[in-house]
Amino acid sequence: MMAASSGVKVPRNFRLLEELEEGQKGVGDGTVSWGLEDDEDMTLTRWTGMIIGPARTNYENRIYSLKVECGPKYPEVPPTVRFVTKISMNGINNSNGMVDARSIPILAKWQNSYSIKVVLQELRRLMMSKENMKLPQPPEGQTYSN
Amino acid sequence: MAENSGTDPAVETNTEENAAASATIIKVTVKTPKDKEEIAIAEDSSVSQFKEEISKRFKAKQDQLVLIFAGKILKDGDTLGQHGIKDGLTVHLVIKTLQQQMQRQLMSNPEMLSQIMENPLVQSMMSNPDLMRQMIVANPQMQQLMERNPEISHMLNNPELMRQTMELARNPAMMQEMMRNQDRALSNLESIPGGYNALRRMYTDIQEPMFSAAREQFGNNPFSALGGNTDNSGVQPSRTENREPLPNPWGPPDASAATTTTTSGTATTTSSTTSSTTPSVSNPLGISSSSLGNGMFNSPGMQSLMQQISENPQLMQNMLSAPYMRTMMQSLSQNPDIASQVFTNNPLFAGNPQLQEQMRQQLPVFLQQMQNPESLSVMTNPRAMRALMQIQEGLQTLQTEAPGLMPSLIPGGMAAGIPGAPLPTGVNVTPENPPPSGPQQLMQQMLQMFAGGNALTQTPEVRFQQQLEQLSAMGFINREANLQALIATGGDINAAIERLLGSQPS
Repeated sequence: MMAASSGVKVPRNFRLLEELEEGQKGVGDGTVSWGLEDDEDMTLTRWTGMIIGPARTNYENRIYSLKVECGPKYPEVPPTVRFVTKISMNGINNSNGMVDARSIPILAKWQNSYSIKVVLQELRRLMMSKENMKLPQPPEGQTYSN
Repeated sequence: MAENSGTDPAVETNTEENAAASATIIKVTVKTPKDKEEIAIAEDSSVSQFKEEISKRFKAKQDQLVLIFAGKILKDGDTLGQHGIKDGLTVHLVIKTLQQQMQRQLMSNPEMLSQIMENPLVQSMMSNPDLMRQMIVANPQMQQLMERNPEISHMLNNPELMRQTMELARNPAMMQEMMRNQDRALSNLESIPGGYNALRRMYTDIQEPMFSAAREQFGNNPFSALGGNTDNSGVQPSRTENREPLPNPWGPPDASAATTTTTSGTATTTSSTTSSTTPSVSNPLGISSSSLGNGMFNSPGMQSLMQQISENPQLMQNMLSAPYMRTMMQSLSQNPDIASQVFTNNPLFAGNPQLQEQMRQQLPVFLQQMQNPESLSVMTNPRAMRALMQIQEGLQTLQTEAPGLMPSLIPGGMAAGIPGAPLPTGVNVTPENPPPSGPQQLMQQMLQMFAGGNALTQTPEVRFQQQLEQLSAMGFINREANLQALIATGGDINAAIERLLGSQPS
């Protein structure tokens, strides 16, 4: 039951409540946002996230909606992340928006000190990478049908 | 004396909007990627009331604002309480710039789009090439694209092109026509050896990034609705009229596009022939599609390519009329074989070897004429085209009234006869199309050339008599080759010599 990496092992709910509060307070630079999908969700499992596309990329000024699922073993294991808004980006499944955990460094090398915020910020950072920033994007406003 | 207490309730209200709401005022931080403001608002306000306040503070229109809280987008009809927005919390704001807004509105509303297009203001704006050009160039993605593909900047810098594109964009009916024609014209592509590959290459090099640049900016092309296409189409009226690429060497016949001339060389001549056999058809190109398309156009890859190409008709033309067309035409004129291949492949032609011969001979002349910048500028000028058309009509009448005159115009006469046939029908059927559709214009153009070129001198041989003699005196004994070279260069001896020297290994 010892933490695999540095620090004390934080109980799941405690951690998620912290993240909930941070999401409401808008911690960070204002380019990502997250919160519970359903305020009544006592298990704190289903979250929605938003990423504002970075400037000077093909994602510029678009608002990307995501679903983040924090399973029972969170934060020891990474959450599953899925784009709801259609996006063209390396590591994101073209047909259903699932984020491939092996392709996103943070998810592949997850540490329990990471959080939903960190995941969203990382995805946003990847939008600015050379390999992604100029990818042709689907028209704005489309979502994955599942 | 007791007035003081009486005025209390009036002072009680905090802000005008929230007068009715009364309740507690909370302070909510509104954060954009660039800055942050604290806004006081009543706790039970609706999101739209909140947006009103925000729009004042951020100096943006209410419908440009998108609010996000805890990973959710706040809809106008919701209340702050619904989302759990309390004092001290932060809401994220994205201000959708005008462009994006417009794009979204346009996308969702095709009627609105056509209204916009008909708005004289828009029309006048679009008739200003500089303005359009500025707008295009202002788009950073366009700039990048222009860096990567210098042809695009050439194109943008060509006022003719801009104007023609805008003409096109202004006239939705014309565009529809064009798009339809384009679909068919594209069928010719396959028939050109190497043409498909060239097209593919151009597509991947240029069209994709352009698509993405334009699309990223403007999303779905609203014109798609206008033009009757269901797919994403290419043209944006108010911003970029160009998703530049889409080099279609056999560009669609278009009133103003010079590139149509390339198609002309193949498609229209063939189509004109076909229509001469079935005079009832008003759209010459329509015929060609059926006759040429069947065998040629069978690969699905080609289909999708064409789909996308057809979405950007004028871009294609624009693109093409700049460097590609020139290249294509040059290569065509150097290789009349390719063109003749096209002709032979056309089943209708196959039955008429005479015609084939005719076409083969004429082709280099066609091409030469096409390359002539003057012809091009004539073709890009709708008024000139109209004038040509009138000439065409006149000649047509002449032909019927005084058939004796025509034989003297052979081989020009033959060509005159051919394009002549579809033209009257075309003209009659589509009188309201201000610039007549491409193939017809082309016809007249070709007719013009023929009438002008051949009326005076019967054949190129005769025309270039002097040059031919010079060439043979210089030691170029292959008369055929000399003639070809002279035709291709329009009688320019030096250029012809270079040509001959260049093609020696063959």
